[in-house]
Amino acid sequence: MSASNIQRTINGARIVFWIVTLIVLLPLIYQIGISFKNPQQIFTTPILPFTLPPSLENYAAVIRQMDIPLYLFNSLVFSFGVTFGQLALAIPAAFSFAYFNFRFKNQLLGLVIVSLAVPFVVTYIPNYLLLAQWRMINTLHGMILPMLGISLGFGIFLLRQHFLSFPREVLEAAQIDGANSWDILWRVLLPANLSPVVAVGLYVLINSWNQFIWPLLVGGGNPKSYTLTVAVQLFYTSPEGGDYWGAIMAASVLTSLPTVVIFLLMRKRILTTFVEGAVKG
Amino acid sequence: MTTQNTVVSQEEIAQIAKSSRRQRSFLQTATPYLYLAPALIFIAIFVFYPLMRTIQISFFEWNIIRDNQNYVGLDNYLRLLRDDDFWQIIRQSFVYLSISAVAVVALPIGLAFLTLQLTDKEVDFYQTVLFIPTVIATSVAVLVWIWFFLPTRNGLFNTLVQPFGIETVEWLTNSYTALPAVALVANWKVMGFHFLIALAGLKAIPRDYIEAAYVDGASGWALMWRVILPLFAPTALFLLIITLIQGLEYVFIPIRVMTLGGPANATNNLMYAIYQEGFQNFRAGYASALSVMLIALLGGLVYIQYRVLDRRVQYER
Repeated sequence: MSASNIQRTINGARIVFWIVTLIVLLPLIYQIGISFKNPQQIFTTPILPFTLPPSLENYAAVIRQMDIPLYLFNSLVFSFGVTFGQLALAIPAAFSFAYFNFRFKNQLLGLVIVSLAVPFVVTYIPNYLLLAQWRMINTLHGMILPMLGISLGFGIFLLRQHFLSFPREVLEAAQIDGANSWDILWRVLLPANLSPVVAVGLYVLINSWNQFIWPLLVGGGNPKSYTLTVAVQLFYTSPEGGDYWGAIMAASVLTSLPTVVIFLLMRKRILTTFVEGAVKG
Repeated sequence: MTTQNTVVSQEEIAQIAKSSRRQRSFLQTATPYLYLAPALIFIAIFVFYPLMRTIQISFFEWNIIRDNQNYVGLDNYLRLLRDDDFWQIIRQSFVYLSISAVAVVALPIGLAFLTLQLTDKEVDFYQTVLFIPTVIATSVAVLVWIWFFLPTRNGLFNTLVQPFGIETVEWLTNSYTALPAVALVANWKVMGFHFLIALAGLKAIPRDYIEAAYVDGASGWALMWRVILPLFAPTALFLLIITLIQGLEYVFIPIRVMTLGGPANATNNLMYAIYQEGFQNFRAGYASALSVMLIALLGGLVYIQYRVLDRRVQYER
């Protein structure tokens, strides 16, 4: 390959990436653009993503018509509830798999992995019936509880991997010094593995913030238990929301913003966790 | 103390020692299970119990709303196999997965190989930017796509096709365009994620081989075919399998929000049909029979996945 040939292929690759990036980002550009358009201009200039001057009218409409603080609160309670609940369950379990040797260890680990392969639609009907029995429909704790089991295996598996790679000698030294397994977990292993724990937590947080079907099934019956994703959707299907695209896009932007910001701030950690999760989960 | 004056026999001492050892060793054997118990209890209640329950419900005719249950044996399964809709849904699931195999297996792999011609900084930038759709709630991201697909004259896509003399297209209610539209949205969501996995697979291949392939011209192609592609093959296979396993899950919300499985089942698939039967038609028994079918299909794929994964792990060592 001559030098000029290499030059040409380099340019070709760049052009492909520019085009792909533009296509991938286009919906998001329009989402943001429409949210700042004057409501009258949305249909008169559909091709232009932005028009000047930007208008905040759509955001004002969203805040007027939707109880954003309540839905935001519900989304926060749900996603942080699932995140901390899963971490509290996954950390000791991952520690047990990584640190001890015991009977049926491989079989139990196998069960944890199999639990991840069960598609969510399969578990929804029985779990819904279970919550109905416990009178937890339209409650946030009812929404959180089953999520602590459903995707828990992922955190267990990932954390186990990180705990396993921690030098065994350090743990054994602590043991000789008289530390019991509880101390070893919380005083030695966890402080040294904070970064993967945070990464797994962020992964669970983003995924639960974005949940829609489950919060809709459990909480969709009462506006008091709507999460943001549910509220935005029901606003879109409501008679008032139907053609009010500016407000729908403004609500979309408000809902997407937190996860995108978290991702951009912690992107290295989150990308690594997603790759590990895909390969190991 | 009463024991002070009694002579404690050797056997008794041995026995005491043994029982205290047994006690301690019981605690020691129990410890790992105690750490596991809370997690396993949650998984058992919310994954395995529902799984068993689904299998059980599949033998009943059960309307959730009216709450009348009748044991019907294999009737749900027999009805399903005789139902033309079921076979249409199975067929469509495969059509959808074939589209995805191109969009989120072939495309991201191609892009990953193109990054060999970019600087590390650029690769870093593109993997971040292309990943953004993955972290946005699907149900929310779909809304702007619905706006693109509006059936009116001033919908964005309709505005774009007008110069070609095409009248307005009802993208989401036309049986030819609805499935591609839904597939476009679902695959747009995961393309960047799969690109990331493809990149990770490519990075695991020693850089020297790749550079050699570039420098050597004709023999470089041979190196590409004989060395680099075989090394990359497990990643490609892995991407294909996770697409088959998770594809129907990725398209679930786009269907729910854009078409509800319509028009005339044109966008329906095995996973969405379960939801439709269970939560819209309230036929829990029939939905559960569909679930068992889905589990049987996915179970096979998951088994293959772990086989592939095993080989992949050996590669890395």
